[in-house]
Amino acid sequence: MRRPFEVLLAVSAGLVLAFLLVPVVALFLRIPPGDLVSQLTSEVAVDALIVSLKTSLVAHAIVLLFGTPAAYFIATKRFRGRAAVLTMIELPLVLPPAVAGIALFAAFGRAGLLGGTLDAAGISIPFTQAAVVLAVIFVSSPFYVRLGISAFEAVDPRLIEASRTLGAGPRRTFFRVALPLAAGGLSAASALAFARGLGEFGATIMFAGSLQGVTQTLPLAIYAQLDLDFDVALALGAFLVVVSVAVLLTVKLLPSWTRFTLISLAPSARTDSS
Amino acid sequence: MTRAALALAILAALTGCGGSGTGGGDSNEQATVFAASSLPEVFPKIDPEATYNFAGSDDLATQIREGAPADVYAAASPKYPDELYAEGLVDKPEVFATNRLVLIVPKGNPAGIESVDDLRKKGVKLVIGAEGVPIGDYTRTVLENMGASDVLDQVVSEEDDVKGVVGKVSLGEADAGFVYVTDVKPVADKVTAIELPAEAQAEVKYEIAVVKDAQHHDAAHAFVEQVLGEQGQATLAAAGFGPP
Repeated sequence: MRRPFEVLLAVSAGLVLAFLLVPVVALFLRIPPGDLVSQLTSEVAVDALIVSLKTSLVAHAIVLLFGTPAAYFIATKRFRGRAAVLTMIELPLVLPPAVAGIALFAAFGRAGLLGGTLDAAGISIPFTQAAVVLAVIFVSSPFYVRLGISAFEAVDPRLIEASRTLGAGPRRTFFRVALPLAAGGLSAASALAFARGLGEFGATIMFAGSLQGVTQTLPLAIYAQLDLDFDVALALGAFLVVVSVAVLLTVKLLPSWTRFTLISLAPSARTDSS
Repeated sequence: MTRAALALAILAALTGCGGSGTGGGDSNEQATVFAASSLPEVFPKIDPEATYNFAGSDDLATQIREGAPADVYAAASPKYPDELYAEGLVDKPEVFATNRLVLIVPKGNPAGIESVDDLRKKGVKLVIGAEGVPIGDYTRTVLENMGASDVLDQVVSEEDDVKGVVGKVSLGEADAGFVYVTDVKPVADKVTAIELPAEAQAEVKYEIAVVKDAQHHDAAHAFVEQVLGEQGQATLAAAGFGPP
């Protein structure tokens, strides 16, 4: 009785793995590796790479700059409505990208909620790189902030207290104690958020439009090239797979780089060793 | 193997969007029609029973090449049906309608555009179809015919199908866009259409063809006959399409 069941489990696992892997592998088999690289140097591909890199880096810098203190605040403070705040941060994670696009129009579009104010200030966001950056921030920051909160929550509060009783101010405590201890988790969060931002499609194509060299990011270029030059689309797709694998490896390896500092400090690890 | 995997992915996508169109009934007798984005207001009136997949003609051609289960292909340009015919993927295409381009601006016309010349005004946000998409190619032809290709500098977004252009102008986010005259009616309360000179018009021909590997071969032929027939032509004319 036990044998067939074990076999069933193994077959299911095999099927799941094959289903997930076959399309990705097929992407690489469709054109020879040499062509793959040469397609990446086509004008459309290079423009898309530059646009993606630029907007992703700017968006990511903003996410880190504001997301880190925000995550620390939410992780360490107990206030009324905290659960609601957490839910609001998680909302964009499950929101369909098309909804994100239309919501950004509703907020920052010319006819949107803040449109009049922005217009008066001489700022027009839709169809610019700023629109791409906003779209990327909207979909990627929840990853960083949510995981960042978990990272800060995993820091033993007694260490924070100890730092304070030993005379360190809140700023010193944040930079010298909380931040280094949460670094592993924050880096993983950062990598995942960056990958999500790089892959942003739905909100961008709606809110920022698609124009080569301006707002056409890698995923948008894949979509645009699908019928014009399938090989370029394939090459860009393969490139994004490679980037995604790199991000995943980073996420897997980072905690082990920082583990030795956490083992002696994290509450769960301490109970394990005692 | 690679073809199979891609076809699988496309199939999954299709069942996802086709589901809302078909009821729960037996769809075996119904044709699956892959039709250009400018046709959703018309085709369901000609045959409400068929299963539809509306997208850019170029995307549909790619899907058919990758083995998507289409029975009929109706495109906003002879380019892709002719290509598929040459590749032996569809029967000989027939012209079933013609169309013409107009310039649309949002109601209220924030940029004050009255003609193609006004598109040159500083800061005008023009949205057009991407190159390779029929509406995008026609737009470039029209502008060339008018000696106004320089307005392409004002383009802020190149959309993958005509509905993308219509959407951004009717939302009021873009100042102007080039679309088919038949796209205007459904959003007539949100946009104003500006006619273009007849001599500058591109020859916009719609072609329809039965897919060679059609699973519902009879239904596919019946659908094409219906579109070319009296009732189909009357419905197309009522929506603003020109005769073949």
